[in-house]
Amino acid sequence: MSPNQPALARLRGTTGGPVVTEHFGTADLHKLEVYEANGGYAALRKAMLEMEPAAIVGEVKASGLRGRGGAGFATGVKWSFINRAAPGEKYVVVNADESEPGTAKDRYILENSPHMVLEGIMIAAYAIGANQAWVYIRGEYDGPYRMLVEAIAEARAKGYLGPAPFGKDYPLDVQLYRGHGAYICGEETALLESLEGKRAQPRSRPPFPAVKGAWGRPTLLNNVETLATVPWILNHGAAEYVKFGTEKSPGTRLLTVSGNVQKPGVYEVELGKTFRHVIMELAGGPPEGRRVKVFWPGGSSAPVLPESMLDTTTDMEALAAARSMGGSGGVVVMDDTHCVVKAAYRLLKFYAHESCGKCTPCRVGGDWAVRTYERILANQGSQTELDTLIRVSDGLQNGRCLCGLGDSAGWVIDSTIRHFRDEYEDHTLRHECNVGAVAAHA
Amino acid sequence: MSVLSEHLIEEIKELPAKYPQPRSAVMPALDLAQEELGYLTPEAMTEVAEALMLDPGYVEGVATFYTLFHHEPTGKHRFYMCTNLACMLRGSDEVVTRLREAIGVRGPGEVSKDGMFSYEEVECLGACEYAPMCRIDHRYEYDLTVVKIDQIVNDCRLPRLYQRTASAPRAASADAPRPKPATRRAPRAKKTDGGAISES
Repeated sequence: MSPNQPALARLRGTTGGPVVTEHFGTADLHKLEVYEANGGYAALRKAMLEMEPAAIVGEVKASGLRGRGGAGFATGVKWSFINRAAPGEKYVVVNADESEPGTAKDRYILENSPHMVLEGIMIAAYAIGANQAWVYIRGEYDGPYRMLVEAIAEARAKGYLGPAPFGKDYPLDVQLYRGHGAYICGEETALLESLEGKRAQPRSRPPFPAVKGAWGRPTLLNNVETLATVPWILNHGAAEYVKFGTEKSPGTRLLTVSGNVQKPGVYEVELGKTFRHVIMELAGGPPEGRRVKVFWPGGSSAPVLPESMLDTTTDMEALAAARSMGGSGGVVVMDDTHCVVKAAYRLLKFYAHESCGKCTPCRVGGDWAVRTYERILANQGSQTELDTLIRVSDGLQNGRCLCGLGDSAGWVIDSTIRHFRDEYEDHTLRHECNVGAVAAHA
Repeated sequence: MSVLSEHLIEEIKELPAKYPQPRSAVMPALDLAQEELGYLTPEAMTEVAEALMLDPGYVEGVATFYTLFHHEPTGKHRFYMCTNLACMLRGSDEVVTRLREAIGVRGPGEVSKDGMFSYEEVECLGACEYAPMCRIDHRYEYDLTVVKIDQIVNDCRLPRLYQRTASAPRAASADAPRPKPATRRAPRAKKTDGGAISES
């Protein structure tokens, strides 16, 4: 076993699942020969030898696959934005800069099956007419980085990457680029800036990356999980994929369940299952004697949902109706021994720290909220502080910034106040934290 | 007299050719400089800029944007402690407090007296199912407890043992003599009272 791959006994999450994790748990799956023995690279072979590029895009469209990075945009539609016939370089850029708090699924995929990601990348590159792909991987992911390096070397040796994969005159190459610790790089245009050697500050759109992306060329940006799903779709057909999930959110996705649960892990879940199933059954629920108080359904940026909404389903439509979102699939569970105001404060510190500083509402608003939370938690709050939080939250939201970071910060404040106004009032008006008392009653 | 070694500057000069546009080489170049010096001094950043034919102010602007570039001396072993939500809910604050005591510093960024350790509090490291966790130099450590953080610090004080367990690619051949497979860490040298730590 490679020292880079975690021992299988240490894996926490789905193995042998329906789609992405189908072969996870197989020993040495990260090696090319094992991956191929489990049906690997069949989809790429089929795509390059038997399918027209337009048919590949059509198949992905028909699968209804939606981006798994956060925004949930229809993947096939995104692919079709690139004009394959246009002359000149085009690029596929893979967003492996997973840094949404509470999300570890891309790491899980990369550590288990780097070749599956590579295969998805190569299919995408062929489909949109790119010869080169760049994987922007976060700098802290040393293990996944080395596994990708090894996987790329194996694919080169086998000829899958190189001048003529499968004997077809279509050169393919995948390069790696390491991030250096900036949450904002998860935003696609900030990632492109970073890839170009600049400070990672989002660009204004249009032009969209499909027209003018990396190094000024048409670029397709996709998340690791999105691309890792593509080989399965080509192997089994879109019709099989849509059998999973709901009509508008077909398929499965990986949910990272963390926080106060007995079995934290990365679970492959069919969209449309309830969070009660995910949190209470798959992840074993909160520790003995405690109750779920609140959970973040899609990373820290997704507005929180209280225990009473555990029966919300995981598809994007249901989450939108619950005034939240699927986001990156990071399900963070907090039990009744923790204080919502303190958790919100911690997240606001995060958003204030990670603001790139380009747009004023986000740059100023984040710090402002942090200072307000500090006054509240130091028992110096009053109605003024509560009003300030609501006003700052409003100022951060509603498209006042170039990217969603400001909105996310605003949603944390907004959704925690919406569902836990009592707790905020205890802190600001009465200067007390009643978390212990609430837990005792429960 | 330059602060970066000559061969490193040569290496940096070759980087731009790897990218569609030369500017993309700036972060990989700063990486090399930091690896050699431990942290980025103004002189080092200027030399990187000169090697890449960029403006020194521009290079410094990039270097100060990203948190993995250090601008002050750090300990030989750097702890990146995740204190974001998922780790916080599972006790990362307690672990960080214990780490401060174990390495004898008052806060993040301070280097321990022996120069061996420093730590930083960082945002989510993307291993939430193993919370609380941290990154030490170039590896992740999972399921931290106050007992476990003590052991890790002690292991770091034993250079050879530490080398053997660091998850560098070369470490593969050193796998064999490792006595117990349950953890990736080196066997404990001093503490023997920690047998009760749960791994799950």
